[in-house]
Amino acid sequence: MSKNVKWGNIYLWFMFVILYLPIFFLVIYSFNSGDVMQGWEGFSLKHYVELFADTRILEIVVNTFLVALLSSLLASMIGTAGALYIYNLNHELVKNVFLSLNNILLVSPDVIIGASFLILFTVMGFSLGFTSVLLSHIAFSIPIVVLMVLPRLQEMNRSLVAAAKDLGANNWQMLTRVILPVISPGILAGFFMAFTYSLDDFAVTFFVTGNGFSTLSVEIYSRARQGVSLEINALSAMMFLVSLILVLVYYAISSRSGRNKKQGTRLVLPASEGL
Amino acid sequence: MANVPTAIIEFKNVGLSYDDNEVLKNIDLELEAGKFYTLLGPSGSGKTTILNLISGQLTATHGDILFEGDIINNVPVEKRNMNTVFQDYGLFPNMNVFDNVAFGPSIKGMSKSQIKTKVAEMLDLVKLSEYADRDINELSGGQRQRVAIARALANDPEVLLLDEPLSALDYKLRKDMQYELREIQQRLGITFVFVTHDQEEALAMSDWIFVMNDGVIQQNGSPEDIYDEPINHFVADFIGESNILEGIMKSDYLVHFTGKDFENVDAGMRPNERVEVVIRPEDLDLTTVENGKLIVTIDDQSFRGDYYEITAIDDDGNEWQVQATNKSLVGERVGLTFDPEDIHIMRFNESEDDFDARLESYEDDSNDDEK
Repeated sequence: MSKNVKWGNIYLWFMFVILYLPIFFLVIYSFNSGDVMQGWEGFSLKHYVELFADTRILEIVVNTFLVALLSSLLASMIGTAGALYIYNLNHELVKNVFLSLNNILLVSPDVIIGASFLILFTVMGFSLGFTSVLLSHIAFSIPIVVLMVLPRLQEMNRSLVAAAKDLGANNWQMLTRVILPVISPGILAGFFMAFTYSLDDFAVTFFVTGNGFSTLSVEIYSRARQGVSLEINALSAMMFLVSLILVLVYYAISSRSGRNKKQGTRLVLPASEGL
Repeated sequence: MANVPTAIIEFKNVGLSYDDNEVLKNIDLELEAGKFYTLLGPSGSGKTTILNLISGQLTATHGDILFEGDIINNVPVEKRNMNTVFQDYGLFPNMNVFDNVAFGPSIKGMSKSQIKTKVAEMLDLVKLSEYADRDINELSGGQRQRVAIARALANDPEVLLLDEPLSALDYKLRKDMQYELREIQQRLGITFVFVTHDQEEALAMSDWIFVMNDGVIQQNGSPEDIYDEPINHFVADFIGESNILEGIMKSDYLVHFTGKDFENVDAGMRPNERVEVVIRPEDLDLTTVENGKLIVTIDDQSFRGDYYEITAIDDDGNEWQVQATNKSLVGERVGLTFDPEDIHIMRFNESEDDFDARLESYEDDSNDDEK
């Protein structure tokens, strides 16, 4: 038995090392005093200095976070409303149709979604920029939120709703005082997941960014094509740090709300794609 | 009972169907204010359906439901002056005990100090004053039960509906809660409608019992009436243990079963009508073979704490359940004896109205005889 456990551990560590090695490689070379990834020439913070002097990249960082925050906030609201709507549908067939439409959006390739948004915006004569990116991010985040919120609703005890009504609550009071607080862990998980998806989305954004506006992933891609600058490494290291902080914040919030639960059920951490 | 002004809830020919499935068939009932009613029946009998129709969670397919004389068919749940204790309690997990109980009063728009007083009063009623700040998850099943009762009563309902609230509790706790619920009902003087499948619970708590089966009220009456005078095989079998045999009512006060004639106290049937005979196990006494009205052989015996449950078989092969205080020997031949009033006769397919009318007719006769 103990032998199996040991092999299991070794396998696990091996996988983690393989997954994290490229990131650590990147981070370590961001401190290289040389200008290339080949050959360590000594410790230096000069790439970080360059990064913070680069106003264009700082502006893009702000834009990226703004888009992520706004899109995930709005998607959380719309997605929660959508999940509530699907939950309250009585007709089984209609319910399944809505669920399928939602899931198709989740699995369809970003390239298709990006291209279709580009066509849509162009046909409508909508100028590409901040708004078009924001709208498309909201659109691809809504299904994620629905996916996170709906199970919470389904596992919610039906008699909670009956009890609220029985005690005289109208629909609004029932929603705000009982349903939303009960499903809030799901909404929170949906928000964080939408946030990380928006933060590192490349394909959709690539299609709908105009000339002036850009987000980090698009910017890093275009810079990397011109030749690798270690400033990108410094930026990536910073983003990795931000991701770590996000994960920690998420755990702090979920363990606080999980403490009230007898079983101590933790929220499922959204699969955050590495930046 | 018709048109009694104290009726708080009335069903007039109420039925409920899902597609072709008739869940409830033409129910007529009247509940008086301030009494403890029980809807008793096996699962699927329609007892919870009646409760949900009263609370407004369900809408009847046909018929009228009246509250204090007004038709309330279309009054929504939240506008009815009654509250429910749900089977799984339905406590709000995002609130502590205080906030759960305060939910109703705060919806009503009571002031903070009023709410505080009300909640304190309710928690005192269910003996949970110390637990106001507890989370719901920290409570035991019995305590959750009490919070659910306090929360439902905090709205000052005129009718409290209880949907099998004790079914999740262990035996001892259930017994205690039976007394307590009865006490709370009597203290507040409001109407309780209690749904259960547990006949013991129903007999112990109720002023009046409705026995349900197949979407029909089989019999309604006081616990004593239902136990002593079951109307049909179902009720006799469902309420308590029974020995049920087929027999023939030879004439008034004379019944024939197991090949012998017995004197009894029932009347009002056709001569030589086929009937069912009920004798309760606790009404049968063991005696010697010479003194026995019936001769049986003891087949099995099990100790139940306060009595021995004996299964005996007579010479015709009928099985008899007997409750005896003394131990017997398996295989022993003994006599069974009982009094004429221990024999209860049930006619086949007799309606409740006919049953009541028949009882009244010969009970009047016997009263006349005494005069």
